[in-house]
Amino acid sequence: MTQSLLLCLIAERRIAFPAVKVRSVIEIERITPIPRTAPHIAGITALRSQALTVIDSRVALGFESSGDPTGSRAAVVDHEGHAYALLVDEAFDVTAALGEPERVPGGFGEAWTEAAIGMVETASGPALLIAIEQLIAGHRAGSLSESLPVRV
Amino acid sequence: MDDLLADFVAETREMLEASGEEIVAWEADPSDKARLDTIFRFVHTVKGNCGFFDFPRLERLSHAAEDALADCRAGRREPDRVLVSAVLAIMDRIGQMNDAIEAGEDYPAGGDDALIDALQPDAGGAGAEEKSCAEPGDAEDGAARPSRVTAVQRSIRLPVDLLDEVMKGVSDMVLARNDLARRLREAGEQPTIDGPFERLSAILADVRGATTRMRMQRLEHLFGALPRLVRDLAHELGKEVVVEFEGGDVELDREMVEMVRDPLTHIIRNAIDHGIEPPDKRREADKRPAGLLKFAARQSGNRISLAISDDGRGIDIDRLEAKALAAGVYTRAELTRMDERQKRLLIFEPGLSTADSVSSVSGRGVGMDVVRANIEKVGGSIDVFSQPGEGTTFYLQLPLTLSIMPALTVESQGRLYALPRSYIEEIVFARSRDVELARAGERQLLTFRNRRVPCIALAHVLAGSETERVEWPETTLVLIRLATDEIFALAVDRVHDHEDVVVKPIPPAIMETGIYAGTTLLDDGRPMMLLDVPNIARDCGMLDDLRARPESAVEEESTAPVRPTVPVMLFTGLDRRRRAVRLDLVQRIDTVEPEAIDIEGARAQVVIDDRLFALAGHEDGPLPEGRCRLLRLSDGTSELALIVAEVLDAREVDEDMGAGGRDRRYAGVALLEGRPVPVVDAHRLFAEHGNPASAEPAPAFKANAL
Repeated sequence: MTQSLLLCLIAERRIAFPAVKVRSVIEIERITPIPRTAPHIAGITALRSQALTVIDSRVALGFESSGDPTGSRAAVVDHEGHAYALLVDEAFDVTAALGEPERVPGGFGEAWTEAAIGMVETASGPALLIAIEQLIAGHRAGSLSESLPVRV
Repeated sequence: MDDLLADFVAETREMLEASGEEIVAWEADPSDKARLDTIFRFVHTVKGNCGFFDFPRLERLSHAAEDALADCRAGRREPDRVLVSAVLAIMDRIGQMNDAIEAGEDYPAGGDDALIDALQPDAGGAGAEEKSCAEPGDAEDGAARPSRVTAVQRSIRLPVDLLDEVMKGVSDMVLARNDLARRLREAGEQPTIDGPFERLSAILADVRGATTRMRMQRLEHLFGALPRLVRDLAHELGKEVVVEFEGGDVELDREMVEMVRDPLTHIIRNAIDHGIEPPDKRREADKRPAGLLKFAARQSGNRISLAISDDGRGIDIDRLEAKALAAGVYTRAELTRMDERQKRLLIFEPGLSTADSVSSVSGRGVGMDVVRANIEKVGGSIDVFSQPGEGTTFYLQLPLTLSIMPALTVESQGRLYALPRSYIEEIVFARSRDVELARAGERQLLTFRNRRVPCIALAHVLAGSETERVEWPETTLVLIRLATDEIFALAVDRVHDHEDVVVKPIPPAIMETGIYAGTTLLDDGRPMMLLDVPNIARDCGMLDDLRARPESAVEEESTAPVRPTVPVMLFTGLDRRRRAVRLDLVQRIDTVEPEAIDIEGARAQVVIDDRLFALAGHEDGPLPEGRCRLLRLSDGTSELALIVAEVLDAREVDEDMGAGGRDRRYAGVALLEGRPVPVVDAHRLFAEHGNPASAEPAPAFKANAL
């Protein structure tokens, strides 16, 4: 059985979220940073009347942040009763997976090992299927935090 | 069939609750026919309903009780205390079986016979009269026809989850409306849209009000069960207690009602066990043998205050102290530094109980500390006031609902945060003259009204370190009183507004910072974090610091009930703004003709009773036409006249009201019904205008004359 995927770009890599888990794709209009949270938590933003916790996916994966997320696109997902906006560099279409997620020999590289469920083929080429909960947990967020500019 | 059964269970429970009060009243006066009838109807209805279902034990119990009561109704038997207790026991058993039916369990067998035997006239040994009436009810069946007494219900039962969902939806709708309002404002005036939008807003406000009411429950629901509880406890402890209620029509969020049920029960246990003396002791003390337990509820703004008072022996402060010492909670030195109020509050410390022997009633390991914790969990507060030999009163302050919270918005580094208003004691501007900043090592201290208060900067809390430099004199200090009565000051850049905010939970990743309690949306749609005040205080070591530091507070107002307040005179100035001045400074209110006032450049004077007074307050606006109202102020050495547009009212405001900040005209800003009211700095007025009332030279300004 194949699934629908939302194709996005994070850190110049094509990734995919399971489309069933994505409520919508929004553009971050205004964001309120929250001091003292983990580095991958960019802040909160409001979607209609709901507060969304904004996850900087790049930081969560251990990459450097691309800075102020205002104007960026984000995928809105629900996880364990809370709503999150996962920042992406770009969001493309929803497309059908052409097969099951697969591991590839040699792995996906350090940054992606934990977050990627596997590689899926789509009509427009392969993409890494991402485990949303891994992004939210941001296991690798600390790895670059030393060098991160302190956003105040 | 399942629905029928659920109805049976619910109806039985409802009737049980309703008759709890009746049966206590009946016991007080067993000859009261009306009460007897009510209770008879209950057992009769249960018996009748059992016929539909297969509940032989319930039927047998209710039948037996019905028979005994029918005899009383027919005058064949005099009801007495023994009978009342037996009927009560049966009603309890019916309640338990009812619960078991609802849970789908089997109620343990046995015990029914003993309960039924206890109904027999000779069961208690006393008051047995005729024995011939034990014919099981045949004679009575005709008279007591199975009439359903419950009126047609004009209400329906709804699952609470559904109500919550609706409530949440309405809250979201309000936020969405706010968002839309902001966008409309930005788009400029659009008459075709603005009109309908206004209407939508009004309707939404109504709907919100109605949904809130849907969740409201009259306190009677809570009170209804108390006479029975009090009766049972008093019985067990060999005491006599009369219960009195006031304000049963006050409404509270039903969830809140549930939350206070346990704390309230515990306070009642305490009052009966420790507070109210046994009848003989009360007689010795010249009191009525029956103790009085009084519940008074009142709504003030969006809070409910509930006072539970007894007229017992009061809190034994010495015993409390001894216990605190023995338990190692405080040292002797710390105790001697405490004022009366602080000592009373020891009752809320974990591990302290003044009962030497653990009775089955209180002292079950659940202490008043748990009561306080539970009250605070729902955003409320608790205080206690006690007079040795005369009684104890617990004051509970509760918010009306769980989801909407009064908050103060403050700014730090250009961002807004919300502080729960219940913690805020006052707002002080560091610049104010009443305030002195001092340092002890690295700790910033604030001296205000002879009290040294440690300060923490919100900027430091948010940065997680104290490296950043804080310009203390530029800050606004929010004085925060924790539930433990400890005070510290939180320095913020600015204080904005009072707002009622809808608080939403935050995800674990934000929760783990330990400084936020929730999130909320501002009217313009921006999210704002709600600060977790007790956690921040703990993080910053405010709790320990305060306990370890030598107490420098001035011993004062220790006899004042509840919160120390100070009376003020409320007035509107010539600019029509509300202000206040300390009432003890107001000598009298004068009315003068406009001719009595003479203003020439910087000199402003008024003639009252052939005496010349300096005039103040005329800069605020044009002089009124016709007669002028004046407040004649005196600090004992100087006098002056303050011109006002209207004298409003004498009110009480919190004694520790904040300094008025950059506006030097004000000594502080008091909170009245959630609205800020600046309090005039009379000493500055005296220093500038005052003329000595006597022949003495003008007095030097006294910083802390009050």
